[in-house]
This record gives sequence, structure tokens and C-alpha cells, in this order.
Amino acid sequence: MTLTDTPSDTVDRPVSSEVPPAAKRQRGRPSWGLWIGVVWLVTLTFMAVFADQLPFIRSTSRVKGAGNFAFGPGAEFWFGSDQLGRDVFARCIYGAQISLRIAVFSILTGLLVGGSLGLAAGYFRGWVDRLVSTVIDVLLAFPALIIALLIVQRTDSLQVSYPDTFGWLSRTWAITFVLALLAIAPLARIVRAQTMSLREREFVLAARSLGASNRRILVREILPNLVPAMTSVLFIGVAVLLVAEGALAFLGYSVKSPTPTWGLLVSESRQRIAEAWWATIMPCVMMFMTVLSFNLIGDRLARRFDIREATL
Amino acid sequence: MRYALQRLGQFAIVFVVVTFIVLVATRIGSEDPVRDLAGGIASESVLAQVEADYPYLDKPLVVQYGYWLTDFVRGDLGRSYALSQSAVEMFQQRLPATFFIGFWAIVLGLAIAVPLGVYSAYRRDGWFDRITSQVSFGLISFPPLVIAIFLMYLIAVRFSFFPVDSDYVAPWDSPIRHFQNFFLPSLALGLGLAAVWSRLLRADMILTLQSDFVMLARAKGMSPRRVLWGHALRASILSLVTSVALQMSGLVGGAVVVEQLFALPGVGDRLVFAIQSNDVLTLQAITAVLVGIVVLVNLGVDLLYGIIDPRIRAARAMR
Repeated sequence: MTLTDTPSDTVDRPVSSEVPPAAKRQRGRPSWGLWIGVVWLVTLTFMAVFADQLPFIRSTSRVKGAGNFAFGPGAEFWFGSDQLGRDVFARCIYGAQISLRIAVFSILTGLLVGGSLGLAAGYFRGWVDRLVSTVIDVLLAFPALIIALLIVQRTDSLQVSYPDTFGWLSRTWAITFVLALLAIAPLARIVRAQTMSLREREFVLAARSLGASNRRILVREILPNLVPAMTSVLFIGVAVLLVAEGALAFLGYSVKSPTPTWGLLVSESRQRIAEAWWATIMPCVMMFMTVLSFNLIGDRLARRFDIREATL
Repeated sequence: MRYALQRLGQFAIVFVVVTFIVLVATRIGSEDPVRDLAGGIASESVLAQVEADYPYLDKPLVVQYGYWLTDFVRGDLGRSYALSQSAVEMFQQRLPATFFIGFWAIVLGLAIAVPLGVYSAYRRDGWFDRITSQVSFGLISFPPLVIAIFLMYLIAVRFSFFPVDSDYVAPWDSPIRHFQNFFLPSLALGLGLAAVWSRLLRADMILTLQSDFVMLARAKGMSPRRVLWGHALRASILSLVTSVALQMSGLVGGAVVVEQLFALPGVGDRLVFAIQSNDVLTLQAITAVLVGIVVLVNLGVDLLYGIIDPRIRAARAMR
């Protein structure tokens, strides 16, 4: 709190962050939350990307003599070892590769589709709006988990029945597709609401009276104004999808074992949680920290750009 | 009344569309629909039985849906040939557990959220408000799965009072054992809800407390307690009620995960099994019932608005 309580007579000191001190004081949450989030995500992404090169990350293969949870968390195995003698820390990092890739890919796909739908609905109104809104309502009425399980199961059987046509359709793609589908409706809704308020603004009117085409208004006037809101929604959305992927993996419907994702790691060793808590709790902590970081950053951006109801 | 019928019509459409898509999704690309309905591995006699029960499997999907919907309305939800049990029996056995998880999760969520939300709005930006704000922000980032595992590790594993593998016990049979079996699963779902709801209520409550009628009530000499709980709360719970309805669908998903983790014999457990074993009929029945419940709750909440807030009732009557 010391940072935010800076007296106003020190205003002329150089301000490091982009937020002016006055704005900082208004917000309840101190800004170190944001930096924890950023640092955590940067470190995690760095370790996930360079997992093969970094010396302190083992491979996910079995280590002799470490089986049956022989090692607890310590200097040798940072997060302990699991039933088959694999390093839990290494698996968490390799899991981050997959979990983050799935979540980021699907939120971007969802934003592309949902954003376009919402943009069209909010800008053109009329029958386009009615059509899109109906689609959104139906998508939102689906019990998300059921439809996700159903689609993953169907793509599995498609892949088995038609290996020539659908051979490429691995679980990773199926999950990315499912999560993108689930992200479409909420994203379309937010973009639609934002677009509806933007199209009534003076600068749009000005552009239109200068004879700008619909396309130009959409691309040059409205789209740039959607970017700040969307950035914050993206962060919060990734957090939501990480959780969803965890739930799917827990039910056995994520990427196939032994490829680690966090949800899978959590579900694998939970039967032995009494003897070896680390194999279950550590992936949980990773998941929590990452979700928290995305939420912290998303929330901070939402406050910065003054977006209400930016929840997914 | 007219409004209620209108909304009922809209929700009926959503129900039909969702169940139809599920039917299409389960049947499309299937080489042997009879075998699918039988639940994968089945003997010749079972297959013959399925064919006798469902003579319309070669018809177009829309026609098949028509038959399914008629049966559903008549109360025939299909059966699981693999487990030789009708869907109605299955629901009788398993719906109570799922119902109680969801019900207690909502009750716990509200029991935590309402006092927190009201008090932190009343003492806005005080130390209590700041602490609850931080804590609930952290809780929002806890997936129910992770909360459940932490609860299991920290409480169930240490204290034998709460079982690690729960069982269904009806509250009227043994309230204590019901509590033992349902407290942790419901808390796992309820904590996240409480975090969201207390923030929502706080935001609405702050706005309400600034309005004129609250000031009038205070000026008349009413005690802060009566103003808060009697006047301001009622005017502030609209977003909260909406959120309860919106969370229903997510609650269903959360219940499936928590049921699996605590080994509670609920509908979610059977749903996962039905999907894994490709038991199409059970899957359809469960989806239909769950979607039906979600839709009905939403309808109920919609009608509740009018009761909670007379202004909305008046606005609807004007239309």
C-alpha cells in the first residue's frame, strides 16, 4: 500500500507505470498484484517455451529409483516425483506448454468468430442482429460441459472410423475446437454490446457524413476502439478456458496420457493424495497461480479502460 | 400472465433446439444406429429388442426427433440397454444426489455472499471490505476442481468425520450423515459462487445506498440494520438473482466434476459413463432433463423479477 499512498506533492517525480498516481489511488487493489501476474506469466512462458534447452528442467521420462512417489518436494525433485518416477516439476512445465497453447489458440479462434458475429450484429442491427442473438442464446443454453464431452467423443470416433479424412484430428485439435466454440457466444455478446454503443458515437457519425463506407467505418473507426476492451477480455477468457480444459482433462477428455496437461496431472495421482500430496497439489497450485495471473492482468486492464461487465 | 407465456414459448424453443442438436450429434455418421442405441457391445437378442422398440431408426433425423420428443413428453425417457435400466429409474436413483449438491452449493454460496456483500457495501472501502475484496478475487481464480481437491486434502484426508468417498444419504434419513457426505462437495462449488455473488451484491448495494428512499428511511429514524436488511437489500438483489440463474448451467458442469472427485453417485457420474460407453439413449435423456431444469430455473427467475421489484412488473404491464 505504500506505493498508492504517495502524497500528492511528489507528483513531479517520474512515474514508472503508465497509470497516473491519481488514477492509482482510486482503485482498491494495489498494483503489485498486476506485477505478480506479469512476472509469473513471463517466467512460466519462458520455461515452457525453452523447456528442452533449460538445464534445470528434466525430461518427462522416468528416473530410476524415483518411482512410487519416492521423492517429496526438495532440492533433488523440486515438486517431488510421481508414481512412475517422473519429475512432477518437469511435467508441470511441459503441461504448461499444452494447456497454455490450447487455451490461447481457442480464445483467439473464439474471438475471431464471435467478434465478427458480434461486430456485424451490433453494427448492422435488424435481421442480422436477430439471427446472431438467437445463435448466441442457443449456444449459451447448452450445458457447456456436456457439449464439450460429446464433441470430443464424436471426433474420437470420427478419427477411428475415417482415418484418411480425419486422421489429423487429434485430441489437441478437438479440444481447441470445442473450447473455441464455447468461447464464441460470450465474446460475441460483449463485442455486440460494445459495438452498439460505439456506433452511436460522434466520430462514427462524422466519418459517415464524410461519406465513409460501412467497411471503412468498421475497420478504421470501430475496430480500433474495440481493441482495449478485447485485450482485457482475452486475458480473462484464457483464465476461464484454462479451468475448462482442466475439468475436461480431469474427466479423461483432454489430450491423451502420457502427454501432460495440468488437469490430467491433477486427476492422475489424486487417489494417492494422502501419501503423496505433491503430485496432485503442485499442478493445482500451478493452475491456480496461472488463472490468478490472467485474472489479475485482465481485471487491471478492464479497470484501466473502464469496461463494465467484462466477465465471461 | 401473457409475459409468462411468452417467455415459456421462448424457452420451449431453446429446449427443442438444444435437444435436437444433441440427437443429431449422437446419430450423425453412425454406421449402425441400432447398435449405438443398444450402447455399443450388445448381444443379438438385445439388438432385436432395440429394433422392436425403435422401428423408426431408418427414418430422417427430424422424424426420429419427433418420435423422441413425443416419448419424452409422455414421460418415457428411454432406457439404457447396457445396464438394463430405464432412464426414469436412473433419475430416481441419481437425481437426488446431484440436486442436493447444487442446492446446498447455492444455499452456502448465498449464506456466505449476502452478509459479506451487505456489510462490505455498508462499510465501503473499510478494512473489512478490502479484505473480502482480496479474498474473493483470489477465490474467483480457484477452479472448483482445485478447491475440491484442496478441501479433500486439507479436511477429508485429515479428519475422518468427512468421508473421502461420499455416499448418497437423504437428509430425512440421517441429517448428520447427509451433512458429512454433502458438506465438502457443496462447499467446493459454493465458495466460488459466494466470491462472485458477494462482489455483485456489494456493487448493487452501494448504488442503492446512495438512492433517495434509503436516505428517507434513515431520516425517518429507522435503524441502519432495518434499512440495510429490510429496504436496501430487496432493491439490490436483482443482479444476484440473475447471476444465480446464469450460473445454473455452469453449476451442472461443476457438479459433474465434483461428483467424480468425491465419488458421489449422481447424474453426472452416469453422464460421464454414458459418454464413455456411447450409451446414446441415456445421454439424450440426461441432457434433456438437465437442459430442462436449467431452462425452467431461468424461467422461474424471470418471473421472480416481477415479484422482487414492482417497477419491473409495472413496466411489463405497460407493454
